[in-house]
Amino acid sequence: MPMLLEAEHVRKTYRLGRHDVPVLKGASMAVAEGEWVSIVGSSGSGKSTLLHLLGGLDRPDADSGPITFAGEDLRRFGAARQNRYRNHDIGFVFQFYHLLPELTVLENAMLPALVGVWLPQWLRRKHELRARATELLEVCGLGHRLGHRPSELSGGERQRVAIARALINRPRVLLADEPTGNLDIHTGGGILDLLAERHAAGLTMVMVTHDAAVAARAQRQVRIVDGCVA
Amino acid sequence: MYASQLSNRYLTSRIIPFIAVAAVGLCVALVIIVVSVMSGFLEMVKVSGKSLTGDVVVSRPITGIPAYAELIREIEALPEAEAASPVVETFGLLRMPYGSGDGGKQVEMVEVWGIEPESLDRVLGYRSKLYWKKPAESELAGIAETDPRRDPFFDREAEGMALRAKDGTDGVVLGIEISPFNRRQRDGSYRTTDPRTGGQSAAYFMANTEDVLLTLVPVSDSGSLSGEKKRRFSIVNEVQSGLYAVDESRVFMPLAAAQEMLLLDPRPVMSRTEFDENGRPKELGTGPARATTIAVRAKPGVDPDTLRDAVERAYVRFYQRVTADPGQLVDPPFPDSVDISTWEQRLANFIGPVEKERELMRTLFSIVYVVCAGLVLAIFWSIVQEKTRDIGILRAVGASRSGVLWIFLRYGLLIGIVGSIVGALLAWAVVDNINAIHDLLGTPAPAWLQVLAWIGVAASLALAVMGMVRASALQAVVWVFITLGLAAVALVLLQHRGFLVWDPSVYYFSRIPSSLDMNTVVTTMIGGVVFSVIGASIPAARAADTDPVKSLRYE
Ligand SMILES: Nc1ncnc2c1ncn2[C@@H]1O[C@H](COP(=O)(O)OP(=O)(O)OP(=O)(O)O)[C@@H](O)[C@H]1O
Ligand SMILES: [Mg+2]
Repeated sequence: MPMLLEAEHVRKTYRLGRHDVPVLKGASMAVAEGEWVSIVGSSGSGKSTLLHLLGGLDRPDADSGPITFAGEDLRRFGAARQNRYRNHDIGFVFQFYHLLPELTVLENAMLPALVGVWLPQWLRRKHELRARATELLEVCGLGHRLGHRPSELSGGERQRVAIARALINRPRVLLADEPTGNLDIHTGGGILDLLAERHAAGLTMVMVTHDAAVAARAQRQVRIVDGCVA
Repeated sequence: MYASQLSNRYLTSRIIPFIAVAAVGLCVALVIIVVSVMSGFLEMVKVSGKSLTGDVVVSRPITGIPAYAELIREIEALPEAEAASPVVETFGLLRMPYGSGDGGKQVEMVEVWGIEPESLDRVLGYRSKLYWKKPAESELAGIAETDPRRDPFFDREAEGMALRAKDGTDGVVLGIEISPFNRRQRDGSYRTTDPRTGGQSAAYFMANTEDVLLTLVPVSDSGSLSGEKKRRFSIVNEVQSGLYAVDESRVFMPLAAAQEMLLLDPRPVMSRTEFDENGRPKELGTGPARATTIAVRAKPGVDPDTLRDAVERAYVRFYQRVTADPGQLVDPPFPDSVDISTWEQRLANFIGPVEKERELMRTLFSIVYVVCAGLVLAIFWSIVQEKTRDIGILRAVGASRSGVLWIFLRYGLLIGIVGSIVGALLAWAVVDNINAIHDLLGTPAPAWLQVLAWIGVAASLALAVMGMVRASALQAVVWVFITLGLAAVALVLLQHRGFLVWDPSVYYFSRIPSSLDMNTVVTTMIGGVVFSVIGASIPAARAADTDPVKSLRYE
């Protein structure tokens, strides 16, 4: 089976003043096209760190092994390719939502689509993009809050906006950091059903979680122990 | 695409942009006001310095230059010169028609200029400085019933230009500050007041009174003082040059009269070699009249130094021609013994300190500029710094560096432009009304304003107490500060008895310069925009360069 996203002996060390804090010490994992993988591990084990590296949001150490997407080495990406990777190839759901406070729910959900287009394109595709974002938000149960600001939403609702934002550009891979961490079992289950539906439609998913039940819905689980994938 | 949308949203959904606009505006206004007033002051020094003497002055004090008409023709033929006018300059004693209350009449030491009004007008704008003119219809409303200018036959301007009273006697024009009855009003105009009542009075209007007695002391051919000459003149008008030092001592009189009194008029020339039968020197004929000073005005755009060099050459030509002409009985002074200088050289004593002041001002301007620029930079820096997390989010969803930069560039640009416009308008409002503001400062606060201020103090104190009772910290704190502020204002009003910051006898000018310096306006506005953009884009660029995860961790 061809591997879509692959990390080989990835190292990541945070520099805190004069101290080096090695978090990932040669972690390897591979995700096949269409697969649903869970990353589990104790708090502070480096799950988020690994996911950020996979999403091209942070850079691994100089002596790290490669991370490849469909055979392309992320380290070789130029600025434009990197932007396109973040914008188009992956969708990222942050542990702490990270929505823009000045934009409405609908605008937040559309943000990656806005980033990717120029004005003439935007004018042509405005209705289509708006309809897609609205539909996604409706599926996430936020159809009635399109005009609200993130500050007016609960944590779970914000998480769902973040998921809608991650899916708006129809990425090939969804990287989600605790997408249900802040939701009750019922809503969380709804979100998982939604994600499962996308997965069934062909979306590759990598999901960080420490909820065993959530992790169990994935096809495969990857555990991080002591900076390596166990 | 998203960039403009997002920067618009940043601009409209928060109070910070308004604070930033206000800050940029205040900085821009501050710089424009300070620089405009100060450079206006320097400009006034220059303009009035020039209008005192002309761009270039040819002078030969006391004995004067004979055949000066010839010289003027030579100078006016120069392509650099616009006009030239002869002047006889001297000092004299002026006895005023009124006493100062102690029995005798007021006597002043004055600086006397014998002039040809028409040509002097071309060189120095003499006509425009005559103070008493027929008021326009629109001005009549602001003029008291007793003002002499209401007389339908009032025509002092023509008399001032002719230096001749209606009855045909020679007239003089006095500096407006010479008469103690002319009181300068807060708006800069003058009023003739009765010293006993303090009210406006036509009786003390100088140009209505009889004569003044002017005493001049001529110097004889042998170079010693000959007997003083006295003559009566009618006061035909008064003159306001804008320079206090001139307005309190200058007297204009007709050139011919001055020449006559100072023995500079055409008089017989005696031969040194030929004698008549009685052994007296033979009279060769009548020599030309003399002028001690020729004031020259440069053509527009000609710099005074260039004109001076040209006038020096013209003088040499004039000298050679006159000395070679047997028809001319008197030779002009050697070129070296005539002083030809620009107004700047002539007024060096007066301009020197001002030039030093200008250097000082330049330093102060730069400090004001740097402080304001720093302020604008700091404001934008903190605004954008606060947006670091947003930049991380944008970069994480694939926004390019240039896209992110454009958001904040636009942000800085719009705030900078709006702030600069607001600042320029504010500066214009202040500078345009600076004399009114100054006058307002000069009057004691009206009673109602004081009462209002104390009512305000009481009201805000009540609101502060209410805040404390209701346990609202914000309300209490805000109103306590407002109470303190209002109390300070009320106390200042109570203390304020009015003071004149700009005393015309201390400063050379009777008005604070009140024109915007367009260069300053433009450069400051550009500066406001540039520093806003720099302040916004440097931290934005820095944030755009960091990996999104790092920006996202920014708390
Ligand atoms: N920017 C950073 N600078 C310094 N240390 C960091 C940084 N980011 C993460 N770390 C450290 O790296 C370690 C792993 O962090 P990470 O966020 O990947 O953990 P995690 O497995 O996601 O934990 P959690 O389940 O609590 O989210 C932690 O000890 C954390 O303190
Ligand atoms: Mg984490």
